[in-house]
Formats: sequence, C-alpha cells, structure tokens
Amino acid sequence: MKGYELGETAVGAAVGGERAVWAPHESLLGWVASVDHKQIGIMYMVAAFAFFGLGGIEALLLRIQLAVPHNNFLSPETFNELFTMHGTTMIFLVAMPLLTGFTVYLVPLMIGARDMAFPRLNAMSFWLQVFGGVMLYFSFFARGAPNAGWFSYAPLSESAYSFGSGQDYWILSLLVMGIGTVAGAINVIATVATLRVRAMTMRRLPLFVWMTFVNSFLMLMALPILNAALVMLLIDRQLHAHFFTPASGGSAILWQHYFWGFGHPEVYIVILPAFGMISEIIPVFARKPIFGYEFVAASTVAIAFLSFAVWAHHMFAVGLSDVFNLFFAVASMSIAVPTGVKVFNWTATLYGGRLRFTTAMMFALAFLVMFTIGGLSGVSFAVVPIDWQLTDTYYLVAHLHYVFFGGTVLASFAGIYYWFPKLTGRMLSESLGKWHFWLSFIGLNLTFFVQHVLGMMGMPRRVFTYPDLPYWGALNMLSTVGAFVLLAAVVVFAWNLGVSLKHGEEAGDNPWDAWTLEWATSSPPPVDNFTRVPPVRGRRPLWDLAHPELADELQGRAA
Amino acid sequence: MTALDTLNPMSPLAAAIAKLFAAVLVILGLIFALVAVLVVFAIVRYRERPGAQLPRQILGSDRLEIVWTAIPILLLAVIFVFTVKVMHAASPSAASRSPDLLVVGHQWWWEVNYLKSGVVTANELHLPIGQRVLIRLESADVIHDFWVPRLGRKLDAIPGHPGYLWLEADAPGVYLGACAEFCGAEHAWMRFEVVAQPPAQFAAWEQAQLAVPPVPRPAPALAGRKLFVARTCVNCHRFAGTSADRHVGPDLTHLADRRMLAGGAVANTPSTLAQWLKDPNSIKPDSHMPNFQLSDAEVAELAAYLESTK
Amino acid sequence: MLSKSKLAMVLFIVSEANFFALLLMAYAYYHALDPGGANGAGALDVVTTGLYSVCLFSSSATLWAADRRLRRQEYRGGIRWLLATIALGAIFLYGQGREYARLLRSGVTVSRNLFGTTFFTLTGFHGLHVFLGLCALATLAGLALRSGIRERQTQAVEAVGLYWHFVDAVWVVIFGVVYLGSVL
Ligand code: HEA
Ligand code: HEA
Ligand code: HEC
Ligand code: CUA
Ligand SMILES: [Cu+2]
Repeated sequence: MKGYELGETAVGAAVGGERAVWAPHESLLGWVASVDHKQIGIMYMVAAFAFFGLGGIEALLLRIQLAVPHNNFLSPETFNELFTMHGTTMIFLVAMPLLTGFTVYLVPLMIGARDMAFPRLNAMSFWLQVFGGVMLYFSFFARGAPNAGWFSYAPLSESAYSFGSGQDYWILSLLVMGIGTVAGAINVIATVATLRVRAMTMRRLPLFVWMTFVNSFLMLMALPILNAALVMLLIDRQLHAHFFTPASGGSAILWQHYFWGFGHPEVYIVILPAFGMISEIIPVFARKPIFGYEFVAASTVAIAFLSFAVWAHHMFAVGLSDVFNLFFAVASMSIAVPTGVKVFNWTATLYGGRLRFTTAMMFALAFLVMFTIGGLSGVSFAVVPIDWQLTDTYYLVAHLHYVFFGGTVLASFAGIYYWFPKLTGRMLSESLGKWHFWLSFIGLNLTFFVQHVLGMMGMPRRVFTYPDLPYWGALNMLSTVGAFVLLAAVVVFAWNLGVSLKHGEEAGDNPWDAWTLEWATSSPPPVDNFTRVPPVRGRRPLWDLAHPELADELQGRAA
Repeated sequence: MTALDTLNPMSPLAAAIAKLFAAVLVILGLIFALVAVLVVFAIVRYRERPGAQLPRQILGSDRLEIVWTAIPILLLAVIFVFTVKVMHAASPSAASRSPDLLVVGHQWWWEVNYLKSGVVTANELHLPIGQRVLIRLESADVIHDFWVPRLGRKLDAIPGHPGYLWLEADAPGVYLGACAEFCGAEHAWMRFEVVAQPPAQFAAWEQAQLAVPPVPRPAPALAGRKLFVARTCVNCHRFAGTSADRHVGPDLTHLADRRMLAGGAVANTPSTLAQWLKDPNSIKPDSHMPNFQLSDAEVAELAAYLESTK
Repeated sequence: MLSKSKLAMVLFIVSEANFFALLLMAYAYYHALDPGGANGAGALDVVTTGLYSVCLFSSSATLWAADRRLRRQEYRGGIRWLLATIALGAIFLYGQGREYARLLRSGVTVSRNLFGTTFFTLTGFHGLHVFLGLCALATLAGLALRSGIRERQTQAVEAVGLYWHFVDAVWVVIFGVVYLGSVL
C-alpha cells in the first residue's frame, strides 16, 4: 500500500503558485496584463506561430532564389539577410518560445499546481521575448538586417566587415531574449521543485515535466555562455575592443568555442521538450504506459550532460589537433546512445498496444521516423573525416532540418493536436488534420531529403546562387517545390486552427481518455486550474481511477 | 553517379574518406531501416480493431534496455576505430615538411603562391598529378574555407591561424573547388579550379607563368598598359614587369590564360572581361573591385592589354 | 528544502557564475598568450586595490552579522550592520573608480590592446554587479528604516545576502587571477 492517503487532496487544495489576483479577462488588456501561466503559455505559442510565418516566408524567398541556377530574384545581400533572419527566427523566435509556451502552460497543470512559482517573472520572460523579437525585426527598418549567419562568425560579424547596425540589433535582441530565457528556466525549476502536488514524487512526474525540468538546467547553463559571448562581441563593435578581431591579436576561434559552447546545448534545448511531448502522446494513443520510464527519463539527463561536451564537432574544419577532434567525435557519437534509448523505448511502447491513429498520433509516429533520419545524419558528422567533406554543405542543411522540422516541428504539431482541446475546449478538425499531416510529411521529405544529395554533390550552404552543374538545378527545383507543399500544409493548419476555434466539436475534460493531471480539470481550465486534484498514486492518476484493476502501482514498478 | 563528387574521389586522400562515408552510410541506412520497419510493423499489426481488449500494461524490460544500449555502443566503437584510421589517411601530419604553396583567402577570391618557383596566380591552381603538395592556408580578412570535393577534405582559412592541407590528384582533369565557409556578400562566387596535369605539362605551365610579358606592341594594348597605371589598377593588383605589386586583388599577369573570372561567376572571355572592367557589379554585385566609369574605348584598351599576355 | 526564492537566487547565481567564467577565460587565455603586453597586467596597482578589496571582503562579514541580527529580530543592530555593508561596498567601488581613472590616464583603455579589452570587461561587469547589489541592499535598508523588517522581507534579505556573497566570491577569483596573477 503505497501513498494512497498522500495523494488525496481536498477541494481547492492545489498547492503553490500565487492565487490569481484577478480573473483573467478575455479583453486584449486582460491578455497583455496577465500573469496567468495559461494565458502566457498561449501567448508564447501565438507569438511563435506568427514568427513561424515570417521565418517560413523568408525560407520560401530563399527557395525561390535557389530554384534555378544563376537566378536573379534576390540580391546577394538580401539573400544573406534572409537566411540569417530565417535561422535566427526559427531557432530563437519559433522553436524556443513555442516549446516554452507548452512548458509554462502544461507544467503547473501536470504537477497539480495553480501557477508557476513566480507568475510575474513568467510574464516578464514572455515580454522580453516579444521585445527581443520586435527588436530583431526592427533592424529591417534601421540600416539593414543582420547578414552574418545565425552563428555570426567573427571577424565577419565585427564592425570591420559588418558595418550596418543589423549586427548590433541581432546581438541586443538575443541578449534580451537570453535574459528572459534564463529567468524562465529558473521559474520552471522552482515550480517543479516546490509546487508538485503531494505524492507527485520525482519518479511519478510525467515525462514531459521531466524533460522540461532537465531542459531548464540546460538553459540555465547554456544561455549565460551566449550572453557573455554576445556582450564581448558588442563591446568589440561599439567600443573597438579586440576580443575577436585577429587584426589586433584577438582570436576568431575563441568566438567559435563560445558560440558553440552555447550552440550545441541549444539544439538540445529545442528538442528535449519535443521528446517530452512525444513521450506523453505515444503512450496515450497506444493505450499503454511508456516503455522503460526510468530509462527515458535518465537518458534525458545523460543527453543534457553530454551536450556540453560536444561543441567542437561544429569546428572539425578549423584544423585543431587530431586528439582534440577525436575527443569531440567520441562525445558526439555517445549522444546517439541515450537518444537511441529513447527512440527504442517509444517504439517498444507501440508493441502490444491498441494504436489509435489520431492526427496527433500520426505526427508523433512521423516524428519517430523523421527524427531518426536527422539523428543518423548527425552521427555521420561526428565521424570527423566525413565532416571534413560535408560540413557547410547542403548535407548539413538537410541534417538540421530533419531534426528541427522532422523533430521539433512535427512534435509540436502533434502537441498542438493533442492539447488544443485542453487549451480551447474545442477539438481540431481531424479531416483537415489529415491533410495537414500528409502535406507536411510529403513536403518535408521533398524539400529536405534531396538536400542530402546536393550536399554530396558538393553544393555549399549559404550560396545565393550556383553554377549550372549536372543535376543541381533539377534537385534544387524539387526542393523548392517541396517548400511550397509545406506552405500548403501550414495554410491548411492555420485554416484548421481558425475554423476549429469557432466551430470545433466540444472537447469535454478528457477527450483522449488520457491520464495526466491536466486532463482532470475542465477545458479550458479555470483560473486556479483545479477544483480538486485527483489522488496521485502512480504515474497515471486518471488511468488508475478509470481502471483500478490495471493500476500501475499493482505492477510494482511504477510506484 | 558521376555527379556525387564526395563519393567520386580523385585522390587517395579523398578516396579514404569516400570509402568510410559509403560504409557509414550503409550502416546508418540499416539502422534507419530497422527503426522504420519496427514502426511500420507496429502500425500495421497493432492498429486498433473494433471490440479489442485493453492491452496488457507493460512497463519495460531491463534486458531490452541493455540490448539497445549495448549494440549501438558496439557499432559506434567500430565506426570510431575507422574514424581514427581514416583521419590519418585523409589528413596526414604536416609537421615534417615545409609547404609548397601558400593559398590566401580574400573576400572573394583566392590568392595562390607557389613558394618554390615564385609563380603567383589566382582562383586557379595547377598541380602535377600523382604528387602530394602541402598548402599553407591563410586568410587576409574573414574566415574562408578551401574545398575541392573530389580531391579531399576541406579546411578553414582563418585569419591569425594558418592551417596546413595536403592536395593531390590521381588523374589529369579540372576539379572544381569552392569556398565553403560563409564569408560575406559574394561567398557564392568564391570558387576556384584545380587543374591537374602530367608533370611535364605542369612544368611547362609553371615556366609560362614565370615569363614576364614584354611591353605589348599593338596600339590599344599599349594604351591599356598606360591606363593600367594611370587608373590606379596598380594600387590593388600585381602585374609582373610593371610597378604593380599589390595583393588586394588578383594577380593579373597571366589573366588571359585563366579559365574563369571573378571567382567563377563567369567564364573568362574577351566580352566578359570587358563587361567586368566596365562594371564589376554587373557580374559580381558587392565585389571589392570599384567601378571606374571607364569609357568603352578605355575598356577596350585595358582588355587588349590584359589579353595581350596570352 | 530551500524556499522558492532562495532556490531561485541560487539558480540565478549559477547562471551568473557561468557568465563570469567566460569573461575570466577570455582574460586568462589572452593573458597566457601575451603576459607582458604593453601596459598589461604590470600596470595594475596590486597593493591599493588589495586594500580596497579588503573592504569588499569584510562587507561579506558585516552582511552576515546583519542577517543574524535580523533573523533574531534585533532590527536596530541589523540595520546598522546593513548600512556598514553598504558603506564598505561603496568604498570598494570608489577604489575601482580610482584605479580605472589612473589606468585610463596612462593610456590603458578598452580599445588599446587585449589586456585593456579583457581587463575592463571583466572588472567592469563585476563592478556593475557590485553596484546592483548595492542598490538592492539600499532598497532593503530603506524599507527597513521606514517600516521595519517583516517576515517576508527576511527572505528577501537572505536572497540578496546570497547574491552579495557571490559577488564577493567572484572578486576573490578575479583578484587572485588578475591582480595576484600579475605579480606572481
Ligand atoms: C534539434 C536539433 C538537433 C539535434 C537533436 C541534433 C542531433 C545531433 N547532431 Fe546536430 N546539428 C543541429 C541540430 C541538431 N542536431 C544544427 C542546427 C546543426 C548545424 C548548425 C549550423 O551549422 O548551422 C547541427 C550540426 C551538427 C554537427 C556539425 C556539423 C558541421 O557543422 O560540420 C554535428 C557533428 O557532429 C552534429 C551531430 C549531431 C549528433 C551526433 C546528434 C545526435 O544527438 C543524434 C542522435 C540520434 C540518433 C543517432 C538517432 C536515433 C538513435 C538510434 C536509432 C540508435 C542507434 C544509432 C546508432 C548506433 C548510430 N550536428
Ligand atoms: C526550427 C528551425 C527551422 C525550421 C522549421 C526551418 C524551416 C524551413 N527552412 Fe530552414 N534553416 C534553419 C532552421 C529552420 N528552418 C536554420 C537554423 C538554418 C541555417 C541558417 C544559417 O545558415 O544561418 C536554415 C537554413 C535554411 C536553408 C539554407 C539557406 C542557405 O544555406 O543558403 C534553406 C534552404 O532551402 C532553408 C529552408 C527551409 C524551408 C523551406 C523551411 C520550411 O519548413 C518552412 C515552412 C514554413 C512555411 C512555408 C510558412 C508558411 C507561412 C505562412 C502560411 C504565412 C502565414 C502565416 C502566418 C503569418 C501566421 N532553411
Ligand atoms: C580597390 C582595389 C582595386 C582596384 C583599384 C582595382 N581592382 Fe581589379 N580587382 C580587385 C579585387 C578585390 C578583385 C577581385 C574581385 C572578386 O573576384 O571578388 C579584382 C578583380 C579584377 C579582375 C578579375 C581577376 C580574376 O582573376 O577574376 C580584373 C581583370 C581586374 N580586377 C582588373 C582591374 C583593372 C583593369 C583595374 C584598373 C582599372 C583594377 N582592376 C583596379 C580590386 C581592385
Ligand atoms: Cu570565402 Cu566563403
Ligand atoms: Cu552540435
């Protein structure tokens, strides 16, 4: 008999979080002034989606320019601005805020709390994010957008070679967002550490909470590295200092160490919460608990640690020593092991299950296969000599989009189909959802698979045009067509969101028959989240209530 | 398959990588096939059927966890061993040898110096086949990256941090190279060519490059030579036999022999050369070569001069 | 279990420590490349700065004393120690200002060379943190003088105290690496 009494909480006794001071208003001011984690979470997602539109339009412009060799659709400068803004937008203004939106919306609900540990700080993080995004885009109206690429290698990003103010806007905007992100990470850690409903032990935590919790440590450690590097670059540019200016003794390589010291953990920052969502969605639609809970959780910690020891795999072409390179090769390859553990556990969860192919589940399954492609091409980069050939080619562009689009974005789509009913009280249309799914799946592969081949043919990345070599034009054209299929997918999705918000089927509290605590309250949840938190006796409180005879605790392992 | 340059090597250095790449692709392909088959099988086999029971609630299996931790580790260990081997084969240590060539990346062209013979050229590099030459790689401004896919690894050209790179070609031919690190506006047109020749032909080429062109006879070329000095071309370019000896722009002594212009943006023909002199930006927007607002006559004279060394 | 505000402060300090570690690494890296450097570390005045540093270090002790008294609800003593802490911190900043003025007069600036670049960035950010810490302490002292310290505010004092000790500890490292490193 473990923990029966502990979980019982009386009416209105959800712990933690300050009580909402006012009922959230549906008015614009109500949203803007809100400190409610649910409203802030939704605002994060809406902002991320708007920027996804911008980043996507930038990508389409890039793809139009690249559709045929020797194209003159864009000037080289515009092209460079566009890919810099596309990469920066997608990473800092889409992937991060989207996942943060899910995190701040779901974490308090999943642990039975009323709100985040610091609701006002939460609002501050969000508005810093918005402010940073607006500042970045304001650069278009100042003297030109930044154009040194999303990792702004010095000395190209120094004032001697990037004299417009775009680079300064880039620095300031990332700094502002970086500060907001650190504050957000502190908030999530404090929330998970102190506001769990009684009996919600760490071993009972939903995996999404586990992964965002670990992820917050990753942010806490990684973002200051970026902030420090940005500050140095800014001092170089504004006060004529010499951190990264080789002409006066500074080191161009130091910037790379600093940037990737942040940059590699960063790419995991935008995948771990996606892993978390997948770990919630697959079991629910397989009607089985996650296979190997402990291993899925522990591998997250392993990934987090390893991710700080692999940064120099972005620098194999710099010409550092063999021993140095080999160390980073080993570390990079090792990351495949805990990630593989996850992939295999998700797959094993399907076995013996009763799979329901909702749109959410289809996106989750597509994630499983597509992310694997991206992960495997990542491993090929960890093999140093292969990297020497393929770094900075379209093979790399393919890798990063398979993990970002095939990973983060597909998982987020899955998450939106899954939690939309909770957020809004209405279901998304499944028939439009299927269209959205198939267009995304086909578009993704059409756009990015051929890029592997282009890379092998020797096409460098970040070129605004290219010579008319055999097959180059044809493959690029295919990739451009794929990008337009993705446009169709996003349009269907936006349509679905719009229509379903107004006319979608009523969802009820728990349309999927799911088992984590957010489904134990109304859709959308009341200001205080819960009127009553069900007893927590295992990892699946609602399942235990519905199927006492199959309750997890009876199996002895999930206590 | 000839278009897949990285898998179609033309030197032992590149061949080592290509073989490894192919093998790794096969291994990774198999892993992918495994995952895909497992998922597809589950999709087919375990789809929900009407009236089905609740499935058995399986929480995990330590034995399976060990299996899918251990097997990847073993596979990766094997890949790692080959990684070490191929690293040495594809990029041998350069400590024992002084470099044969100095290659300097500029925004957006490559300066090539043959250290032993003193030949200077740009965006075109000649090699005797079957011989391994050692390149010292530098940068005059930002980071560039020297890459000839069919001949071997790429290496960054980093200001303040010279690098060393071996280059070798098995068979005669022209191999396309590119700058692979983003270096600003015209990164796309920072291409170059490696012309691999039998040793005798290479020696002849080297001799020809060393020849100092005589003062040209025909009138337009002679006028062009005067313009070349008057119009400050000498401030940025090198031209053997004149006062011009700067490396802000490419060496122009034997420009007429080169196959392409402006980092590969166009083929080197009299008409493209004239267009370049008239308005470099019309060929390569943002290039660091100024537009001198030359008249058509001046352009013709300058072009005649630059062509006269053929 | 830590209270959530203390936990948040600890986490914040972890992130700040990371930030300083990077600035420090940049300093150490360039110092190792070129230890002499025109007007390099040799230009520093170890003894005077050492004396000012003692003020900063002892401010940790006074803050600790303040904290103890406040916790025992001896408000008058607590506030007195708090004011002493603020004074010591301010003296340190004054000392740093003088050091900067002297260096700038002798031509050592951010843009002069790598020593200037890394030195001013590192110590400048530390000074900024001392300044922010002083603002926080002053706010607490002001509140305390007006209406006395309450239950909730002792938590704030503790959190600010953690931060102040951290800023102090950072200076121990900077002083060790930059100043003592220049004479050893
Ligand atoms: C979400 C983002 C994300 C993720 C998750 C990853 C995951 C991985 N990445 Fe990737 N990466 C990027 C985003 C990401 N990457 C980006 C954006 C860049 C480019 C930045 C730029 O230059 O612009 C990049 C670049 C990049 C490079 C540098 C290339 C270069 O610049 O030359 C390398 C090199 O090692 C690398 C490796 C890896 C590895 C080993 C993994 C591993 O974590 C993958 C692990 C997963 C699997 C391997 C699949 C599942 C596992 C199994 C089925 C088990 C069995 C497998 C084996 C035995 C192999 N990545
Ligand atoms: C999360 C990350 C992410 C995502 C989702 C994407 C999505 C896409 N990316 Fe991007 N990409 C990067 C991250 C990402 N990218 C990064 C980091 C780089 C490197 C940058 C650098 O080198 O510095 C890069 C670089 C990059 C390149 C290489 C540029 C170069 O090297 O020259 C290309 C080229 O094809 C490309 C294409 C695309 C395409 C076609 C999509 C498509 O999937 C986009 C699909 C989306 C749409 C088509 C949106 C549709 C819009 C609407 C419907 C508008 C209406 C809606 C609203 C207003 C709400 N990307
Ligand atoms: C301010 C410096 C500068 C001056 C002055 C200058 N050039 Fe150039 N030139 C360059 C640069 C830089 C390039 C390389 C451009 C590129 O490919 O990006 C170049 C390229 C060229 C090329 C093409 C070379 C090749 O191999 O592709 C020719 C021809 C040329 N210049 C001729 C001239 C002539 C003739 C003049 C005088 C009328 C002149 N240049 C004056 C900087 C200069
Ligand atoms: Cu030089 Cu790219
Ligand atoms: Cu990485």
